[in-house]
Amino acid sequence: MDSQTQAELLKLFRSKFTQAIKYYLETCTRCGTCVEACHVYASMGRTKYISAYRHEIIRRLYKKYFKVRGRFWPSVGEAKELDDLAIEELYEAAYSCTGCRRCMVYCPFGIDTQLLMSIAKLLLIGASAEPEILSLLADTSVEKGKSLEFFKEGFLTGVKQLEKEVVKKWQTEAGQTAIPVDSVGADLLYVALAGAHSIIPAAAVFNAAGEKWTLSFFEAVNFGAFVGDPTKTKLILDRIINEALRLKVKEVCVCECGTAYRVMKQLSGRQPFKVSSITEVHARYIREGRIKIDKTRFSGTVTYHDPCQIARNGGVIDEARYILRHLSNDFRDMTDDPRYNWCCGGGGGLVALGEDTLDFRMKSAKVKVDQVKASGAKILSTACENCHTQLSNLNDHYKMGVDVQFLSSMVADALVPKESAPA
Amino acid sequence: MQSVIYFILVPMVYIACAIFLVGTILRVVKIWQYPKQPTTLQIFPEKKPKWLWTLYDTFMFPTVLRHKPLLWIFLMAFHISLVLLLIGHLELIAEFGIFQIVPHEVFIGNGYVGLTLAVCLLYFLFRRMISPVKDLSIPEDYYLLILLFLIVIFGSEMDWARRWYEYGEMTVEDYRTYLYSLLVFKPDLPYSTTFSGHSFMLVLHVFFANLFLMLFPFSQLMHAILSLPVNKLRRG
Repeated sequence: MDSQTQAELLKLFRSKFTQAIKYYLETCTRCGTCVEACHVYASMGRTKYISAYRHEIIRRLYKKYFKVRGRFWPSVGEAKELDDLAIEELYEAAYSCTGCRRCMVYCPFGIDTQLLMSIAKLLLIGASAEPEILSLLADTSVEKGKSLEFFKEGFLTGVKQLEKEVVKKWQTEAGQTAIPVDSVGADLLYVALAGAHSIIPAAAVFNAAGEKWTLSFFEAVNFGAFVGDPTKTKLILDRIINEALRLKVKEVCVCECGTAYRVMKQLSGRQPFKVSSITEVHARYIREGRIKIDKTRFSGTVTYHDPCQIARNGGVIDEARYILRHLSNDFRDMTDDPRYNWCCGGGGGLVALGEDTLDFRMKSAKVKVDQVKASGAKILSTACENCHTQLSNLNDHYKMGVDVQFLSSMVADALVPKESAPA
Repeated sequence: MQSVIYFILVPMVYIACAIFLVGTILRVVKIWQYPKQPTTLQIFPEKKPKWLWTLYDTFMFPTVLRHKPLLWIFLMAFHISLVLLLIGHLELIAEFGIFQIVPHEVFIGNGYVGLTLAVCLLYFLFRRMISPVKDLSIPEDYYLLILLFLIVIFGSEMDWARRWYEYGEMTVEDYRTYLYSLLVFKPDLPYSTTFSGHSFMLVLHVFFANLFLMLFPFSQLMHAILSLPVNKLRRG
């Protein structure tokens, strides 16, 4: 690595400094309480996957270049040169961490590994060593925000074709649009993923609840966050914020995408609209009696996988259980404390990297498989696209024999038509 | 030799205290000059009042209790003993009525506080020699534990000698004369502190304690200060 590249990377490193990052870099005592916290270590048993070890990969560079003793006594803190080998280590650490933050529940100080890994991801971008596909996907999202008119027609045609499917699930009133788009003055803006599975069930439930809603032009997923690029993350987020402001909605409802929800909820700042996950919205509809769901629609034990970014990191925990207790008489939690639900192993962009990470994802999530099996459930419900994909892959790989379902789809499938609903 | 002893017991103490105070304050102030994290770093479900739970996390180490109960026992014993040691040293400067709520002879703990600390430090040290904690540890971790052990062992031996073996050459009054004189910037070294048979223990104890104070702001020992704000981030 030449000195200019190194200087630029160190500048990027410095740009990440906040009070929190400084606390995290200065506080760890390497006490080892976090050893069993990470699903990757718990499944594969290799030291490099212990949370504190991941921290040290960042901390060694920090000590070398940002602490005085790193210059005159580097060995005491194992301070390390930022070179090509260090970049490889950063990649290994950052892209084996799903950012689930389960280790924060173990650490006596609450050190946030995901935040420290965000330094690694930014340095990888600076060194052009990040997974190229994630950057490409982020760029596509940003570009879509810039040239909405270019793809608008195609999007509207696609949506029109989905309307028949929506009506099959829930008969709309005469003259009512099954999937309203670009509707100024709607109460709720629904931000879906690119795919019918993310739009059809949600639309049916919104229509059943009599919601005054509209579908976003943009997909919810934020590849900028996956690749750890703060600028792109913000640009991708701003597309939705600007759309919500233009349509004057009161609420932005994010589909079943953990990262999209957390970014929207925690990064959008003070806005005239509130941000909700679709799970929260569905729980509200049930609580307010706006929709009725059939408790006998699903047979067998149902369990729920908490998507880390929605539950432990986003606070949507009770709502999913509230819905599931309305969907089944046999709901069983996987753990007595949802903070300890194992990560599925697919977050942090790993699922988006597809086949490249499949082998690692299967090996690193063995503990999740054991947790699901121990629940004895026949239906494994979740509320995140990445989790759903990863759990489905695990289901196939380990032959778990469960039916992996989106929670929102279960709600849509169990909708009780108005005429059959008891008065 | 006497000038070396004098340097350790007087000027070096001032230098160490100055580095400790100025260094710690500067480090904290420098950290506070960085912007706050734009997003919350909270973990859910949340519990209120958040500040009270932050204090609980900071002083009771509930996560360690849940996941490493044996480590928790030693950590609690260690940190409680540290507080008692601090009280003991304050009482070696002057008499404080408030500390005599539970009547005791100075130094507090009848020698067992130091013994507890020494045992805890040995546990921490040997724990680091076994995987996986060994794989996580860096030289700094061992050096600091060894340094602390040296401080504790020489400090405690003075206490043990007085308490358990009726060694009477260095008295509490001698320590008070020495420490109070440092506090009022009129250094006075009683004869026993520099010429008695056990004075080398005092010199070594103070020397290692000086090193500890000088290293504090630049090492992971800062966790003693940063633990509270960092725990607050998790509680939101």
